[in-house]
Amino acid sequence: MKIQGSLHPITQFMRETIKIFESLGFEVYESPEVDNEWNNFDALNVAADHPVRDVQDTFWLTNGRVLRTHTSNGQVRAAKERKPPIRIVIPGRCFRNEATDATHETTFYQLEGLYIDKDVKVGHLFWTLDNFLKKMYGSDIEIRYRPHHYPFVEPGIDVDIKFQGKWSEVLGSGMVHPKVLKNMGIDSDKYSGYAFGLGIDRLVMKKYGIEDIRQFYSGDLRFIKQF
Amino acid sequence: MKILKSWLKDYIDFNLTDDELVSKLSLSGTEVENIHSIIDNQVVIVRIEKISPHPNTDKLQIVEVSDGKEKFRIVCGATNIKIGQIVPMAKVGTNIAGNIIKETEIRGVKSAGMLCSEKELRIGDDHTGIKILAENAPIGQPLVEFIKSDSILELEITPNRGDCLSHIGLAREIAALVASSIKKEPISLKMSSKRAADAITVEIENTNDCPRYLARFLSEIKIGPSPKWLQERLIACGATPINNIVDVTNYIMLDLGQPLHAFDADKINGRKIIVRRAKNKENIVTLDGKGNSLSRDNLIIADKNKAIAIAGIMGGLNSEITVETKNIIIEAAEFNRKVTRKSAKALNLTTEASYRFERGIDPGGIQYAIDKAAKLMKEVAGGEIHSGIVKAGETTLHLYDDVIEYNKINNLLDFSLSESEIDHILKLLGFLIKDGHFITPSWRHDIECWQDLAEEIGRIYGYNKIHPLILSKTASPKKNFYYFKENVKDQLADLGFSEVYNYSYLSADDLKILVSSPKELLEIKNPIQPENKYLKNSLVPGILKTIAKNSFFDNIAIFEIGNVFGKSQEKTKLIIAASGKQSTDFPNKINNFAAKLGIDSDKFKIQRFDSRQLSNIKIRKPDVFLVEIDINDLANKAKNKLDEFNLKISKKEICYRFVSKFPSVTRDLAFIVRTNTKSDNLLADIYSVSELINRVELFDEFESDKFGAGNKNLAFHIFLQAPNRTLKDQDINSIIAKTILLIEKKYKAKLR
Repeated sequence: MKIQGSLHPITQFMRETIKIFESLGFEVYESPEVDNEWNNFDALNVAADHPVRDVQDTFWLTNGRVLRTHTSNGQVRAAKERKPPIRIVIPGRCFRNEATDATHETTFYQLEGLYIDKDVKVGHLFWTLDNFLKKMYGSDIEIRYRPHHYPFVEPGIDVDIKFQGKWSEVLGSGMVHPKVLKNMGIDSDKYSGYAFGLGIDRLVMKKYGIEDIRQFYSGDLRFIKQF
Repeated sequence: MKILKSWLKDYIDFNLTDDELVSKLSLSGTEVENIHSIIDNQVVIVRIEKISPHPNTDKLQIVEVSDGKEKFRIVCGATNIKIGQIVPMAKVGTNIAGNIIKETEIRGVKSAGMLCSEKELRIGDDHTGIKILAENAPIGQPLVEFIKSDSILELEITPNRGDCLSHIGLAREIAALVASSIKKEPISLKMSSKRAADAITVEIENTNDCPRYLARFLSEIKIGPSPKWLQERLIACGATPINNIVDVTNYIMLDLGQPLHAFDADKINGRKIIVRRAKNKENIVTLDGKGNSLSRDNLIIADKNKAIAIAGIMGGLNSEITVETKNIIIEAAEFNRKVTRKSAKALNLTTEASYRFERGIDPGGIQYAIDKAAKLMKEVAGGEIHSGIVKAGETTLHLYDDVIEYNKINNLLDFSLSESEIDHILKLLGFLIKDGHFITPSWRHDIECWQDLAEEIGRIYGYNKIHPLILSKTASPKKNFYYFKENVKDQLADLGFSEVYNYSYLSADDLKILVSSPKELLEIKNPIQPENKYLKNSLVPGILKTIAKNSFFDNIAIFEIGNVFGKSQEKTKLIIAASGKQSTDFPNKINNFAAKLGIDSDKFKIQRFDSRQLSNIKIRKPDVFLVEIDINDLANKAKNKLDEFNLKISKKEICYRFVSKFPSVTRDLAFIVRTNTKSDNLLADIYSVSELINRVELFDEFESDKFGAGNKNLAFHIFLQAPNRTLKDQDINSIIAKTILLIEKKYKAKLR
């Protein structure tokens, strides 16, 4: 008798999201998990001498490098390797230096999206995200956009969906900050762009009602084999 | 940041319900984490059933109340109560103005809570008796659902908006949202003829570190507790009242966002304030009682011969306000954001003050803050305000001034707002507008480019007014390494291997599992947890630990794809492992897998761990087989095939069952059923027997003459677990018995 193995729920959810973005013309780009401070922070307008640095608790290596705190570390790398228009998604593992419990993990997965072209507007971002969320959660899903601050974008925008009667944050996004474009070597008078980031773990937890975020990295087959 | 709704009304009249306020703030960029009534929701409405005298004192009574379900006996001193009245009761555990109600014994009689007055609930001034509620008040319900009270908003203020870390700051936001403006009472001070400048002097070593420093001098004040209203506002916002002078400094910080400090003037040598960098190894004991060894990175406030405060962070014990203090110096300054940050980081000391200085205070509001503080101190502590402010540093404000890029703003947001509409929004936010130019308000430090202005326009005008704009079509994106990895995962799942994710870290203990030397590993400098000490250079330790953890599975077949880290290189590796009876099949499966990838199976070197090696690492299995390989090498072989790979989406219906921290128990059941019976139906039925069944797995299905014509055997593993305990035999037996009964009856099955 043939036994089918299970794929990790994060693998499965990541595929679903990537497949949707693939249909919108986004190419997968992967960046390293250990990176330098410039790619992870400074290039993204997260200066060491500004409190925006404190938003993430970071693992620093003894060699001065950093465990990436987001897959946004691929933004500047990708932009150096290619010319606009750029349409990529960056999946991968990210890290946060904190004590763990049922709702906090040192390890999590993110999917970052980046689109740079001539005359990209906030409306393009909304169309993209509307499109994604409707494909993922059904065409009648309620979506709202809320201002939020992320140093690498301006304006910065959080995205909520109505889930079981309550607004619930699913995405952070915004228009790529002119300083970040400059660090990519892109002329911000000619080009503009948007970026967004999805926290995969929390979305998977929500989807299945998973009670403890640490399950993902527990290796517990009672958990894995359900998927 | 905690904000008291009624405090906002010192600055702006607005008529918004809590829900409306939360919605307006959220949609304009101020994240509201929580809003709750100032009354703890454990204060419930009860009815007085019986009143009897206290056996040991005439001043107290024993009151019996009911919440409709339960009765409570409460010792109470109030005289205004009668049987049948409806009153609020704080249950044990309730927070009343910062005090937690405990079960107590009052003169020999136990009291299970407290009946509350208006004043205790902070819903009025009456403290003479218990608050008597209307007859229609719903008994048993929380009081907050019945009466109006003040609310506390808990906000997440992003690092760019230091100006919102105060009540006036949030009032300004709300004013812009309701198209109004705040009212700020001018401060008039009654000052004595004595001059502050005769009492103190101020000197700044470097105005880059401290652009401006203002000081006022108050004499003959009397230290004591601050009035109740002031204490209550502090408590509501999470601050602890200390004494009238210190309370005013904290109050003004929460009110106006300007951190203040008060020094005991008589403890300051030469009555001279110097703002300077600390000398290396200079020491100061701060108000928290801790000694700090300072360096040139720390900006300090000093007198002629010693440090008396760490600038913008915390005061020194040597100049602290005590009950004996008579004369004080109030400090209101602007400290450089970056300098304060570096200083706080060096000392690993973050305070409410440093938090605000790092984010930037309002340099245009310093004088107002020191004046309001002086006025309030005189009210609550008496004494005299000496005339004049002693000032040092810059006198002018440097504000950002630029052209408004109306077209670019409209284009980015796809709005068609007129220039005057844009001007109007900016004016509401406190910008000065003149002839197509703007000047930022002195409290905003986050406006640096036209995109920042666009955000202001967008968030006030409303993101809901932005129309989605369709993205142009492009060619299908190229496929790459990611697609190869996903394809490998599918192949392995088809061969019965399940995918696990293990951590990227190794602890010092983990190094023993695979003899690696820390010299080969990347090391984390600042791990909070010891398990995050090194980065793994192999997937083997993780996979062996996973096998050890899953001891209640007879057969384990797993794989992982993950990054590993050498000193100079990051690689993506694949590991495949098996353990248990069926693992003898492992080499076959690997051959199979290699064939599917079109790779020579010699590439896959199978390692075998026997029971002796395994027992050292607490794995009780006869063997483990595994293969670890660099997946980039495999991918290179498949370069030309990438375009054939599609992302497969599983259609499996998943109804997630929690996984217990306690061990599971496995029982196997085999049934003889008709050959046309679907195993999926049995699976679903077995799951439905109990919530404690975490997993049902079909492990055998075959027909045999033994069972009679038209019959087959279905065998299942059933995994049982409980959320909070290890299951007992009797629990398990009862679930298994129910399962057997159900399956036998429903499918006319026979247990083997």
